[in-house]
Amino acid sequence: MVIVKRKELTLAERLYIPEVLRGLRITLGKMFQPKSTRQYPEEPIPSTEVTRGQPRLAENEDGTLRCVSCGMCEIACPAYAITIDGHEIDRPIEREPERFEIDFLRCILCGFCEEACPKEAIWMSDELELADTTRKGLIYGIEKLKRPASALQKRIDYVKRINDRWRTFSST
Amino acid sequence: MTVLLATFIKAVVIFGALVSAAGLATLAERKVSAWIQHRLGPNRVGPFGALQPLADGVKFIFKEEFVPEGATRWLFILAPAISAMAAMMSVAVIPFGGLVTEIDGTEIYFSIADLDIGALWVVAIGGLGIYGVILGGWASNSKYSLYGGLRASAQMISYELPLILSILAVVAMSDTLNLREIVNIQTSGTAFGFLPNWNIFYQPLAFVLFVVCTFAETNRHPFDFAECESELVGGFHTEYSSMKFALFFLGEYCAMIVMASLTVTLFLGGFSVPYWEEAPWYLGVAAFVAKTAFFMFLFLWVRWTLPRFRYDQLMNLGWKVFLPLSLLNILLTGLAVSL
Amino acid sequence: MANFLFYLMALGAVVGSLGVVGSKNPITSILSLLGTFFCLATIYLLSGFQFLAAAQILVYGGAVMVLFLFVVMLLNLGNPDTSAAPDFIGKRRVPIAIATSICLALLTFIGVLGQGDVQAGNASLAEVDTITGLAELLFGSFLLPFEAGSILLLSAAVAVIVLAKRERSQADKPQTSDTGEAVR
Repeated sequence: MVIVKRKELTLAERLYIPEVLRGLRITLGKMFQPKSTRQYPEEPIPSTEVTRGQPRLAENEDGTLRCVSCGMCEIACPAYAITIDGHEIDRPIEREPERFEIDFLRCILCGFCEEACPKEAIWMSDELELADTTRKGLIYGIEKLKRPASALQKRIDYVKRINDRWRTFSST
Repeated sequence: MTVLLATFIKAVVIFGALVSAAGLATLAERKVSAWIQHRLGPNRVGPFGALQPLADGVKFIFKEEFVPEGATRWLFILAPAISAMAAMMSVAVIPFGGLVTEIDGTEIYFSIADLDIGALWVVAIGGLGIYGVILGGWASNSKYSLYGGLRASAQMISYELPLILSILAVVAMSDTLNLREIVNIQTSGTAFGFLPNWNIFYQPLAFVLFVVCTFAETNRHPFDFAECESELVGGFHTEYSSMKFALFFLGEYCAMIVMASLTVTLFLGGFSVPYWEEAPWYLGVAAFVAKTAFFMFLFLWVRWTLPRFRYDQLMNLGWKVFLPLSLLNILLTGLAVSL
Repeated sequence: MANFLFYLMALGAVVGSLGVVGSKNPITSILSLLGTFFCLATIYLLSGFQFLAAAQILVYGGAVMVLFLFVVMLLNLGNPDTSAAPDFIGKRRVPIAIATSICLALLTFIGVLGQGDVQAGNASLAEVDTITGLAELLFGSFLLPFEAGSILLLSAAVAVIVLAKRERSQADKPQTSDTGEAVR
């Protein structure tokens, strides 16, 4: 058993008023210290390479999608947020999504799609803001999802670096 | 007739000023609490958030009016009205300024009514605001509200005695209950040769007792047992919504303003400008507003400094410390006055 | 205007006091009493007694009624079951007679003592309302009746406790353990 002995209070402390004044001085001092508020929409949160925002589809430099609509991300998605319909095309990759939709009301930003993708086509971007007035508006199609690969480069480099480290570990 | 008109104009001006000051006080509450916590506070509506009270008002109006099941309906609706009305009525006798002008030989002062029992009036009418809290708490048919009301009533009874006794010390010194005369006595002369002739320098103990009791009377931190979010959800206003809730808040802030004005009037020379007896009336009003604003700030400042008392501590403090101290103060004052 | 106000307030006072006796809900009773006090205070004000009016509101409205409300809310009194009320007067003829005679004697005492000064009091009615005048009357010429009045009030308070105290049979009393502490 622990017996905590109470500190014997001095007369000034028991009178309480001097202690109150001491407390008031501290809080008054706090008023004039710099504020820690971030004015959010004007001062956005700086993104880092590990920022895991909404998934986006990477585009090649010629404006074509890297996605081959294999459906790996669709299966990996724990929230069933991704819907893909694919079709065949004449380009060397032979297939392309006709419809690629991510329902952001379902998406939990887990990043499994990025991990599952065999063609480095879907990446977690640093875009975090999400708002609309309708539910339909939050189901993003290809047009809203595609980004030039250069815009996602920071994340791509980071993931590749991490994955390389894994490879080194597993080979030894 | 012109005198009647002047009184009407004064009533409109003072009432309008009181209500807008209460709105301003809600903004100040949020701003000061933010600053003390290293935050910025509301700053989106209007410049520096100045229109925030208006936005709050609009929001309150559009909220759903709700009367809980099993509530005593007429009392539930009446309670916030009592709360707001009592606070607004008690402002009638506060002298905000000195002689403004003379009409037909009648002197027009900057206060709605110049009662001979001014000090009593403020406490008597202002004290009725507690009925709003008690009845609101009882009529809500909720245990949290009931506890809030119960605590408010017990607290009220405990702290009104020392409050009145500390006023009595000032009254015994000034030999009048008229607030204007109490201020006039403080206007001329100096205390101890160099200080303004304010009652605070003669009655420091009564001043401390009075200020602490105003905190208890207005249910402010650290004595806000009627609300007490951590244990009673919202206390007496748990079940209130919309404009009824807003009225409770308006009443609370009006009561704070009235109590701050009363403190200034009784102890800090009211509308008198220190070291300048013949100051024009508008400077007097400015001095009054400045002094009152300080006490309003004190209300907010203390709120973010002191933790809430425990309920038994509150009762101990009221009955075992404040009551004997105020009686002692009365005794000493009586001796000093009669000698 | 003043006459009309007086009659309005008098009516309010009468209706309020009827409400105190008549209403079944104790909270409504208290509110009616509060209304009555207000009407009385207004009547005092109309007669020019500012201090009396303020004191009425301060003491009765601000403190005593709050205390009443507090007690009623604390005990959570509902509508009482009137059918179970015991035959009250039958059992206590002698105490009631004694109490009544003491009450009457005190009232007479106050009346007789006050008699001599009524003329003087009337003459200075205008000065009564100032605090000084009131103090001189209460602690000067009317000191003895004033104190007798307070004894009357005290006896009334004792009487209320006696009347309101529920009589406990032996079995109702809390059992005491060996250490003398009450156990439930």
